[in-house]
Amino acid sequence: MAALLRGVRAGRALRGLAGVVTSPAATNPQCSGLRRGFHCAALRLQDESKSDKPSSSSSSTTYHEHYQSHSAEQDTAAEASQGQSASDPEAGEAARPNTSYQDQSGEQNEEYETEEQLQARILTAALEFVPQHGWSMEAIAAGAETLGLSSASTGMFYNGSGDLVLHFIAHCNSQLTEIMAEQHKQIQLGQAESKQTADFLRDAVETRLRMYVPYIETWPQAMSLLLLPHNIPDSLKHLSTMVDDIWYYAGDRSTDMNWYTKRAALTGIFNTTELVMVQDSSPDFQDTWNFLDNRIQDVVNMASTAKQVQSTGETVVQGLMGAAVTLKNLTGLNQRR
Amino acid sequence: MQRAAHTALYVWPHTVSAAMIRQCLKSRVPLQLSSRAYSVVPPPRDSEEKEMLDRILRVDHAGEYGANRIYAGQMAVLGRSRMGPLIQEMWDQEKKHLEKFNEILAENRVRPTALLPLWNVAGFLLGASTAMLGKEGAMACTVAVEESISEHYNSQIRALMEKDPERYTELLQIIKEFRDDEMEHHDTGLEHDAETLPGYWLLKNAIQLGCKAAIYVSTRV
Repeated sequence: MAALLRGVRAGRALRGLAGVVTSPAATNPQCSGLRRGFHCAALRLQDESKSDKPSSSSSSTTYHEHYQSHSAEQDTAAEASQGQSASDPEAGEAARPNTSYQDQSGEQNEEYETEEQLQARILTAALEFVPQHGWSMEAIAAGAETLGLSSASTGMFYNGSGDLVLHFIAHCNSQLTEIMAEQHKQIQLGQAESKQTADFLRDAVETRLRMYVPYIETWPQAMSLLLLPHNIPDSLKHLSTMVDDIWYYAGDRSTDMNWYTKRAALTGIFNTTELVMVQDSSPDFQDTWNFLDNRIQDVVNMASTAKQVQSTGETVVQGLMGAAVTLKNLTGLNQRR
Repeated sequence: MQRAAHTALYVWPHTVSAAMIRQCLKSRVPLQLSSRAYSVVPPPRDSEEKEMLDRILRVDHAGEYGANRIYAGQMAVLGRSRMGPLIQEMWDQEKKHLEKFNEILAENRVRPTALLPLWNVAGFLLGASTAMLGKEGAMACTVAVEESISEHYNSQIRALMEKDPERYTELLQIIKEFRDDEMEHHDTGLEHDAETLPGYWLLKNAIQLGCKAAIYVSTRV
């Protein structure tokens, strides 16, 4: 839309200019017409950008003023500055979009930071103090102070330490998603080998659990916070999106009950391994990863067993049906009438 | 004049790129939402739209799944009668529909409804039990079910058209195509004496009530 408007404006400038060139005697009316045209266009642009994004109105007003000063200049030195005045606003405009968009984003980051963004910033800073203060208001207060904010800003978090833990979990999940998306892209580009589903799941869960390592001393506290009734909906939501993401990148495209059983199995694996990890004292959590391997193997075995049972069942049913038909034929019940 | 034209030409790429940048900024969605491939369904703008599309796709998938099971039940009883090939033909079309929805669901990471096992059994039993009443019974069941499904598709089309017809062009096209197929099955049922079944009105309304309840539940669970 903006591009179209500019095109219209450029067309007007050209038309006005042509008029000037053909009839130099009638410079003044032409010039005022040209000015009017520009003025309207500028006003319209202003309106448009106002409706588009309120923060950009300042830039277009300056442009508007800039243009008005230009047209005043035009009045005094009409004939001399014709060519220049027509091309100058264009040139100014050419520079404008680039700068003004940068301005806009800058403004949004600094002045229009939403409450959520500020909260996220404080909580990210607070993570640094978790090993020291635990998952507590003190850690949030210390984080806020490093950002130059008053420690009273902890009042923003009515859920207190629960918010901190949930923020950490959301942060870990998005990190994991990024890692998996990156791997997925590399596999698609042929730079990496695609893994077996079991290996992929194992690696994903391990990557995710390793994110707890810096906070492992205080993690039991965080787990208990997540189990508080008012945190359960959010923690469940984070858990389910994480499991769903892992399965998606593992290449699962099921749309039947498998969808549920797969996710339930992975959720179980993740949660039990997390519990093992909290109690693990072996170097580099070796016991945890062994446990994880075994659990994944269990699921693989279970899946193949289920498949075997299903195929056996089908064969048995077919055999019984065959036997029934034979029996019917023998007793003469199956005569076609 | 030449100079102005030159400037205008020179300026053009700038304005275009600026517009493009703005477009990109506008359509930026959280990573969680944008990671899926673009196909029939446009990448959702916000969680509300995603919720709406998920519901539509989930219930449509459940509907096609149920319809498949009904035809499977009918075939189990009437498969070897004269009606066999006709039911098989309609079933094949339903299979294609289900395949399409399987594809869309997987691509857009939509959760299938949790009641699939229930629809599996209920659909088969409905198909088999109506087929036991004879071919008129099977056809009456087809008429009732297909009428409910196409009504349901129509309401979806209406809802999508109200929202933004341009945005959902491809999804609308698919739903319309499937709706037409279902209407065809409905007409086929009527042509094959569905209405001659004693208690047709009662059976039809009972089935349609069940369908409505199933649609309501499948949208949510």
